[in-house]
Amino acid sequence: MENLSAKYGKTLNLDKLTSYCPGCGHGIVTRLVAEAIESLGIMSRTISIVGIGCGGFSHHYMDIDAIEATHGRSPSFAIGYKLARPDNIVFTYAGDGDTCAIGLGDLMHAANKGMPITTIMVNNTVFGMTGGQMSPTTLEGQVTTTTTKGRAVPHQGYPLLVPEMMRAMPGVKYLARESVATPKDVRKAKKSIRKAFECQVKGLGYAFVEVIVPCPTGLKMNVKDSYARCGNEMTDYFKPQVFKDETEQSDVA
Amino acid sequence: MAQETLFLKNTEAFAESLARCGVKYHFAYPITPATDVMKRMAVILPAYGGEMMQMESELAVSSALAGAACTGKLVATSSSGPGLTLMHEAIGFMCAAELPCLLVDSMRVGPGDGDILGAQSDYYVATRGGAHGDYHTIVLAPSSGQEIADIVPTGIKLAYTYRTPVLFVIDGVSAQTTESTTLPAYHDYSAEFDTAGWAFTGTQDHPKRALITGSYSHQDGYDLNEKLRAKYATIREKEQLWEQEQTEDAEIVVVAFGIHGRMCRDLVAKMRAEGKKVGFIRPISLWPFPELAFAGLPDSVKNILVVEMNHGQMVDDVRLAVNGRIPVHFLGKTGGDMPMNTLAEMIAEANRILGE
Repeated sequence: MENLSAKYGKTLNLDKLTSYCPGCGHGIVTRLVAEAIESLGIMSRTISIVGIGCGGFSHHYMDIDAIEATHGRSPSFAIGYKLARPDNIVFTYAGDGDTCAIGLGDLMHAANKGMPITTIMVNNTVFGMTGGQMSPTTLEGQVTTTTTKGRAVPHQGYPLLVPEMMRAMPGVKYLARESVATPKDVRKAKKSIRKAFECQVKGLGYAFVEVIVPCPTGLKMNVKDSYARCGNEMTDYFKPQVFKDETEQSDVA
Repeated sequence: MAQETLFLKNTEAFAESLARCGVKYHFAYPITPATDVMKRMAVILPAYGGEMMQMESELAVSSALAGAACTGKLVATSSSGPGLTLMHEAIGFMCAAELPCLLVDSMRVGPGDGDILGAQSDYYVATRGGAHGDYHTIVLAPSSGQEIADIVPTGIKLAYTYRTPVLFVIDGVSAQTTESTTLPAYHDYSAEFDTAGWAFTGTQDHPKRALITGSYSHQDGYDLNEKLRAKYATIREKEQLWEQEQTEDAEIVVVAFGIHGRMCRDLVAKMRAEGKKVGFIRPISLWPFPELAFAGLPDSVKNILVVEMNHGQMVDDVRLAVNGRIPVHFLGKTGGDMPMNTLAEMIAEANRILGE
């Protein structure tokens, strides 16, 4: 049998049965996070702080210490943790509902504080765990169980562009949006996620990566169509790009 | 820091006592009448190798507190009623997660935005809790600057022994009183406890640990609640604190905490001088409530008078403690230019009951 640890490293726990739905983008992002931690050699000092929702499962697939925070509060948990133990590497991992609905205030202030913390926001445009309700990033016209005629922007608002809101914050040192629509996109996402951790290892400041992923179950689509949507409608609106990369600064840690 | 006696506000006595007893990180948001705690912490904590971090809301304060508590280090916050209301999400979480930390509530008039004047209006929210689920927070109510300095080590020991949040409540009048307090020499009481067995510090010296308060199976939820139930039963049995004077032959016992409890000493002295058989009980732990003090009252006690700076909150616990055995009366007010009953009013009410 193939030695999977030799291939994927010790961080990723390959013995754990996945509880992500078939085709879920979280599986890819979770693996990319584990690979970044592995490649930087920071596994034993890295702490995962996860939100509520499907993103909360992510730590089960990594052999690192983890804290399941209250809904939306993982950035504030991370602030407290990092203040008390600055030598640890702290990252938050949650979906769009946790990160930018209930947790937007915590997120923006954590970003603005500029402490060396890494946030991974996995955006699938729905509340997945509760069965596909509208989230702040639900696209205009998108049908969900709470927008049965499609998201009506005049009073339900426009899909929230989160990294764009952080762009002007000097404390944010790495800022990117990626997607997992195609293998090429996954390779780019891998690079960005690694940089977001490297930013913290170097002690530079806050790092944020939004990853656009499909949720076949929440969108009630087959896997193939959900990836096609990810590569088209979703990324047409949520344009993948590196907004800011100040990770080439010298090590200030 | 060496032991020293200072003339300072009791909010500042809290800050000094917390820092001198080992608090390294303090999270807070400005609110009257608690702001002086965070102001002093901002100034003094760097000398202890720590830091006061101001957050954007009490919601964020309590979440950062929880995150820092996960490291096993001694962390604290300070606030007043409206802020405490916001903190309850994380307080309930920390009780479930079994995280030690210290909280100070300098109580003001509620409800709503309330009034910045001192009150004891948070007895319910402190002892019953404002979050969901079957949990309890240990609540300690000092009544003077010296008692603040003396009780902070007790609070730390309780927080770490039981791995649970400990909340100090003080009426805003006592909080803003300036008086002489002998502050202790520096000693980190949390260092007496080994946190290596549970703290979430990274896997360099232990296999993966995960802090999970949610239930992945229905049995998880049952097991967590049973574990907490057993812990709370132990705390109820072992950790009741109170002051009690001259109840041995008393016909009436006055019950009050905080500043009214402190006034009871004068009340008893004055009424005893007039030949009235009066005693008092001053609960110091509000949860666990000192039921043992009431179980031990002699048959001579015909009436109990509870005095509070609210419309009657602790009086419920007194009634539960005596369980109908002794009539329980209440005197209290909240708000106004004089936000509490005077000693004369307390004595008049006790005399009225005695004369019935």
